[in-house]
Amino acid sequence: MVLLFSTLFCYGLFAQTHSVSGLVTDDFNHPLANTNVKLTNTNFFAVSDSLGKFSFQLANGKYELQTNALGFHAVKNKIIVDGSAIKIVLRLKSYSHLLNEVIIKSKAAEARRKEESLNIEIIKADFIQRNLGGSLMNTLQRLPGIKTIGIGSGQSKPLIRGLGFNRVVVIDKGIKHEGQQWGADHGLEIDQFAAEEIEIIKGAASFAYGADAIGGAINIKAPTLPAPNSFGGDVNLIGKTNNGLYGTSVRLFQRKKKLFFDGRFTYQNYGDYRVPTDTLYVYDFAVGLHKNYLRNTAGRETGIHFNTGYLTEKFKTLFYLSNTYSKSGFFANAHGLEPRRVDAKLYDASTRDILMPSQQVNHFKLINRTILAIDNHNLELELGYQHNFRQEYNHYVNHGYMPPVYPSSMNIPIDLEREFDKQVYAFHAKDQMILGNHLLQMGINGEIQDNAINGWSFLVPAFKQKSLGMYAYDKFKVNDKLLLHGAIRYDFAQLNLFNYADWFFSETASGSMEKLIRASDFKRNFKSLVWSVGMNYNFDLLAFKANIGKSFRIPIAKELGANGVNYHYFSYEKGNPNLDPEQSYQADFSIAVKTEKWSAILSPFFNYFPNYIYLNPTSAHDYFYGAGNQVFEYAQSEVIRYGGEVQVKYQFNKQWSSEVLAEYLYAEQMSGDKRGYTLPFSPPASALFNITYSPHRLLGYSDAYFSLDYRITAKQGNIVPPERKTAGYSLFNFQAGTKLQIGQYPLAVSVQLQNVFNTKYLNHTSFYRLISLPEQGRNLVLSLKMPFNFSHHH
Amino acid sequence: MRKQQLTFLFLTFILALSACKKEGEEIDTEYPTIDVTGTAFPQQCDVIKRGEKFIFRAKLSDNIALGSVSIDVHHNFDHHSHSTEVNECNLSAVKQPAKPFLLIKDFPLPTGEKTYEVAQEVTVPADVDPGDYHFLIRLTDKTGWQTLKGLSIKIN
Repeated sequence: MVLLFSTLFCYGLFAQTHSVSGLVTDDFNHPLANTNVKLTNTNFFAVSDSLGKFSFQLANGKYELQTNALGFHAVKNKIIVDGSAIKIVLRLKSYSHLLNEVIIKSKAAEARRKEESLNIEIIKADFIQRNLGGSLMNTLQRLPGIKTIGIGSGQSKPLIRGLGFNRVVVIDKGIKHEGQQWGADHGLEIDQFAAEEIEIIKGAASFAYGADAIGGAINIKAPTLPAPNSFGGDVNLIGKTNNGLYGTSVRLFQRKKKLFFDGRFTYQNYGDYRVPTDTLYVYDFAVGLHKNYLRNTAGRETGIHFNTGYLTEKFKTLFYLSNTYSKSGFFANAHGLEPRRVDAKLYDASTRDILMPSQQVNHFKLINRTILAIDNHNLELELGYQHNFRQEYNHYVNHGYMPPVYPSSMNIPIDLEREFDKQVYAFHAKDQMILGNHLLQMGINGEIQDNAINGWSFLVPAFKQKSLGMYAYDKFKVNDKLLLHGAIRYDFAQLNLFNYADWFFSETASGSMEKLIRASDFKRNFKSLVWSVGMNYNFDLLAFKANIGKSFRIPIAKELGANGVNYHYFSYEKGNPNLDPEQSYQADFSIAVKTEKWSAILSPFFNYFPNYIYLNPTSAHDYFYGAGNQVFEYAQSEVIRYGGEVQVKYQFNKQWSSEVLAEYLYAEQMSGDKRGYTLPFSPPASALFNITYSPHRLLGYSDAYFSLDYRITAKQGNIVPPERKTAGYSLFNFQAGTKLQIGQYPLAVSVQLQNVFNTKYLNHTSFYRLISLPEQGRNLVLSLKMPFNFSHHH
Repeated sequence: MRKQQLTFLFLTFILALSACKKEGEEIDTEYPTIDVTGTAFPQQCDVIKRGEKFIFRAKLSDNIALGSVSIDVHHNFDHHSHSTEVNECNLSAVKQPAKPFLLIKDFPLPTGEKTYEVAQEVTVPADVDPGDYHFLIRLTDKTGWQTLKGLSIKIN
């Protein structure tokens, strides 16, 4: 028998002790990780590991074990230690196991992985706390195959295996998060402290989540429901040295039996971030940085969440209300690629003020989720409303033919460069039923979007979008080892773009002056049928997955109707109203082996696009609509992509473990103007080597860990205009943490030292790469989390 | 047995990958260049007279083939931006524009040429505002790589 691994720790020393080891499982005998097992009336407690195991060293005597897990009834077990080791199984009963959602949640991530034919990663709040980055996507970057497209320290967009923007869907509590269609340099409006469990699907996930999910999906699950008769919460405190960030997130929940509320408030305030250089070169012009601070990159963020609902065994209805707000500056010395003169005295006076250029984003969301369980049916209905409101502020500069002095007759504020106002109404209804060995899921989802624009600059016209989709998915359990999956989906969408005329006069070829019409009213309908088939074969220690499917994406308003100058990138972006819906065929595989010491997953994929949509920088300049700028035109080309990830974990002994995560991606355009080139923002190959020490006893504290990540990133020489080749680099990140017992509550302390050696490096997928802005320097992150409980119902 | 299967699967995967990796044709990853030294005009901090003509001259080159060139002369009375060059020029005080000179023009380049010396006559009207200006040159090559030169000049 291989030694049990355990993250146990208890304080105090015993003279003559015996091992008490055990396994925590749910109703279905799936192991439960991270569950607290407490010795009643003492300060000793253990936390179950990823295989659900825990252990104590106890002297002879009578004890009582109390096990608490979110979503489960607390269990008390009396044990007697009498001269020999004891082994026990603690089987927890979920308090509403009749409802489907809880069944899924109660299954360990491991089981979920074995029943999904696509490659998935599941992370929990403890991963977020250990690896806390500037934004949720930044935090997820540690996972193989996940990267971000970032701008500054607080904004980033997900990139799954090199696909991002509208090819990755973000689902928040069952509803697609909307707010990404406008610009590439916008972050994702999600509060990472409110995320308890996130499932990342690598590969086309179109059938369940609708068009767009060609590259994958990031599914942020609804927080676990509070236990009946509970009243508690938690407090998080966060601090970061690099950008002087301080923040807090406080949660408070209460549940009687059927009614509950759950609220959270998050606030973060950060200053300009620092880079490991004191001089930057914007082209050849030297820009000095005051004490290494990147001017005007400070920001503020607030997140307010309120959830409430009514729960019974067979019926529940839940309301999720949230509002996230952020205000942040853009680096002042270059806006996009445009060099900007800066009043250094004004900008360097404070590292915390937000001057121009800056952006302000508010995202409001209201979601209702109702679940009804009847016989072998599980009906679910989600209704959502979202309002995304984004404003970009900048000094008025008369680019192109804009008048030298901003006219006083204008209704648009002088510093409002762009404004996007998006309202989205969405619904999703599904029925999941069990028919013998089949788990059948059928659903329908629809969305109406209304998008308005404002500001003195123009890129994309206002638009309305309607879409409706239907799908059916069958999971067939052939036997204990083999699962087959089949899915089909039909979508219909309509896009209406609206007229836009310039507010200023441009000089025409004949020398006359006119207000240019940049967009005319325009309507297009799209429809599509997609499918997916897959299998899981789980045998002993081996888990094999295969999936092949077709997915599609309708062109977004920007791709069809852009007709404006992006002065900050010296580009004139020109949409193409005749674009076809993008189609993709992808094959995904995965082989996993898991023993008590070894765990290895290899997940290759192959992807083919007959008509990938991309923004093609041409050799032409347009001096009429484009005011002399280079023409960037939306075009379609045949693309192949392949690559994969490897994850290997080895457990040396109880305390030491090691992990290697590696990823590789290759993309090539097979036709069109950029034949032979890659796709923009292709992440270079990288590998992460980790060594973790989790001592059983350390100065009387439990759950301690010390973990060192060493990431090597290869150079990226595979580029496409307007990118630049990026040199390789290696980085060290260090994480440590422990749980302290403060009175009756555990206080989780996590410390991270990011970029340990203050390495100066460029990130190929950063927006600032084009002006060679190095990434954030050394950063010490401290995060504290303490759950508290007002009720003592046991 | 299981181990052998795994090794086999892994090798198949590697083989599949290497089969895809064909002999790639050379792709162009070089930016075109704008040479504003020697006989080029204007150069950083040069002064242009109102009501006179000047010849815009620059040496353009690329490793494969040039695309197109465009110039943009606009005022910098508000000091909104700086040049792309190493040297700073002395700027006059910030002022409100009344009738600033504005020129946005692109010039055709002969197709397929690797080097070209552009020489284009530009007239500066006599009634425009004198002061600090930017002379922005944008050059693309056939592939779509763009190089910028943002020069600080004065119009007197």
